[in-house]
Amino acid sequence: MRTRDMVLVIPCSGVGKVHGLISRESAYLVTDELAPEDTDVVCLALLVREDEETLAKVRACPCITIDGCAKACAQRNVEIAGGQVAKAFQVAKALGSHRGIQPGTGSDLTEEGWAVSREIAEAVAEDAVRLCQGEEVA
Amino acid sequence: MNYAILACTGLDKPEGSVAREVAIRLAETTGAKIICPVALNRTPARYKRALAENRLIVVDGCATKCASKLAAATGTKVAQKVLVSDVVKAAGSALDPGLRLGPGALELARKMADGISENEAFTPKKTRRAGEAPAEMEFEAASDHVVVVHDKYEFRIPATGYYFNANDVWAQVAGTRARVGISDYLQQRLTDITYVDPPEIGATVAQFDELGAIESTKAAFDVISPVSGVVVRVNEAVADAPESINEDPYGSWIAELDLTAWDEDRALLVDGPAYAADVERKAAEE
Amino acid sequence: MMAAEMNRTRKVGIIACSGEEIAQGTISRSAVRRVLESLRPHDTVTLCLPLFLAGNEGERNFTRTHPIITIDGCDKQCARWGTEKHGGPVARALVVSDILGTDAGGCSRSSRTRGQADEKAVAAVAERIAAEVDTLASEGAELEGDGSS
Repeated sequence: MRTRDMVLVIPCSGVGKVHGLISRESAYLVTDELAPEDTDVVCLALLVREDEETLAKVRACPCITIDGCAKACAQRNVEIAGGQVAKAFQVAKALGSHRGIQPGTGSDLTEEGWAVSREIAEAVAEDAVRLCQGEEVA
Repeated sequence: MNYAILACTGLDKPEGSVAREVAIRLAETTGAKIICPVALNRTPARYKRALAENRLIVVDGCATKCASKLAAATGTKVAQKVLVSDVVKAAGSALDPGLRLGPGALELARKMADGISENEAFTPKKTRRAGEAPAEMEFEAASDHVVVVHDKYEFRIPATGYYFNANDVWAQVAGTRARVGISDYLQQRLTDITYVDPPEIGATVAQFDELGAIESTKAAFDVISPVSGVVVRVNEAVADAPESINEDPYGSWIAELDLTAWDEDRALLVDGPAYAADVERKAAEE
Repeated sequence: MMAAEMNRTRKVGIIACSGEEIAQGTISRSAVRRVLESLRPHDTVTLCLPLFLAGNEGERNFTRTHPIITIDGCDKQCARWGTEKHGGPVARALVVSDILGTDAGGCSRSSRTRGQADEKAVAAVAERIAAEVDTLASEGAELEGDGSS
C-alpha cells in the first residue's frame, strides 16, 4: 500500500570524473525507467542555491542521494537543507566491487560503466518503492 | 579476554560456508559472541555494545573481504583477521565446489577455529630484551607542508621527515624502520583509489623493487619501494578502506620495513622541498 | 604552512551548472566537457560545481585568480550564483537557453537517449564557450603586454 507520494533522487553530477556521470545516469534510470511513478530527480545546484521550491520539496519527501565519491556533496547538501536522507549511495563504493573495469570518462560511459549505473539504479529503485510503501530502508 | 566473531558467511562459494563454520565452532568452544554480518549492516546499533566490549575477530571467505569492509565501515578495531582462501591455498588443497561442507572442509574449519582460539593465529606480543629496538616505532605526523599550486590543484608535501623517489612514493624513517606510502600529487592523479594490494610480510625488497600495488578507477600503479628492507607490517586499515589514501596520503602508509641499506638508499631520494620542485615541473608538463 | 610560489597558468576556468532536472543542464555539462577535451584542452580547466560549493579551496582559489566562465542551463543561473558567492567575479555568464534561442526541444537529459538534436545543441554551446575562452585569453595577453611596457 502506498503511503508516500514521491521519493526524491539527488545525484551529485560532478563534472570532472566518470563518477559524476554514473551518478547522474543512475538517477535518470530510476526516474525515467525503473520507478517513474515513485521518484523524481532534484537538481543539486538548485538546492545549494537555496531555491525555495526545491528546499520545500526535499523537506517534504524522503531523499535518496547518489554521490560520486566520499566527499558526498549531494548527501551533505540535502542534510544542510533540512532534508531527510533515507539512503545514501556512493558510486566509488560500487566501483570498488568491480575490480579492473574501465567505466568511461566524465563525458561517456563504457558498457561496463552503464552496467554499474544500472546496478546502482536498481538498488535505488528498490529502496524508493519500499519507502513509498512506508517501509524503512537500511 | 572476550571475543566477538564477524564472519562473511558468503553464499556464492564454499569459502563463505567455511567462514561460517569457523564462527560457529569458535562460539561453541570459547563462548565468543557471533556478530551477524547481515544484521550488522542493517541495524549496527544492535552490536554496538558487543563491539565495544569484545575483541573482534574477522573471518573472510575470499579476497572480496566483505566482513573486513563491514568492520571497517563501523570503525571497529580488528584484533585478528583470517582469510579462508589464503588458508586453503597454503594447505595446498582446494575445496569441493558445493556450498554444503564435506568432511575435508569441516576439518579445515575446525583447525582454523582451534588455531584462533589457541592463539596460534595471533601475532605474539614481543617482549623487549635489553638493547632491542621496540616493536612499534613512533612515526610523527607531518606538521609543516610545502604547497604546490597548479591550476585548481593544490599538492601538499611534508616539509621535513619524508623522502621521495621519482615514482612519487615516500618513505618516513624512525630509527631503523621506515613507513612507505604515496604522495598527495600521485593520489590526486590516480583519483579514487579502490584497491590496495600490500606486500607480503617477511618479503625482502631492494630499493626500486615493487612493494605492492594500488588500483583506482583511472589506473593501476605499482608501488616502487624507495627503500631496501624487510616488510614487517602492512597497514590493514588501508587495505580495508583504500579511499583513506585519498583522504590522508601521508598518514595512510602502506607498508613498514626494517631498513637494510638506508645510508645508500638515502642518496637516491629527495626531501620535501626538492620533491615540491619536481611536482611543479611534472604538473606543468602535463 | 609554507606555500611555493603561486604557479599562475593562463588558463580559463569553466563551471557548468550540470543541472539534472532539464535537458539544458545536460547540455551545459556536455558542452563544457567538449571544450575541455577537444576544443580548448590546453587553455581551460573545469571546476566541479558541487565540489566548489562544498568548499574545495583549490577550486575556489582558482576562481579568485583566473578568468571564469559559467554556463547555466536556465536563468536561475546556479553556477554564476555559486561562483560569485564563494569564489571570485564571473568574467562571462552564459545561459544555454539564451545561446540556443529555443526550448532545447528534442534534447534529452540522459545520454542513453542522445540524438542529433542533442549533438547540435552541444556543438553550438561548446563553440560559444570556446569563442569566449579565446576572447578572455587574448584580453589577458593584452593586459600582460600593457603591464610590461
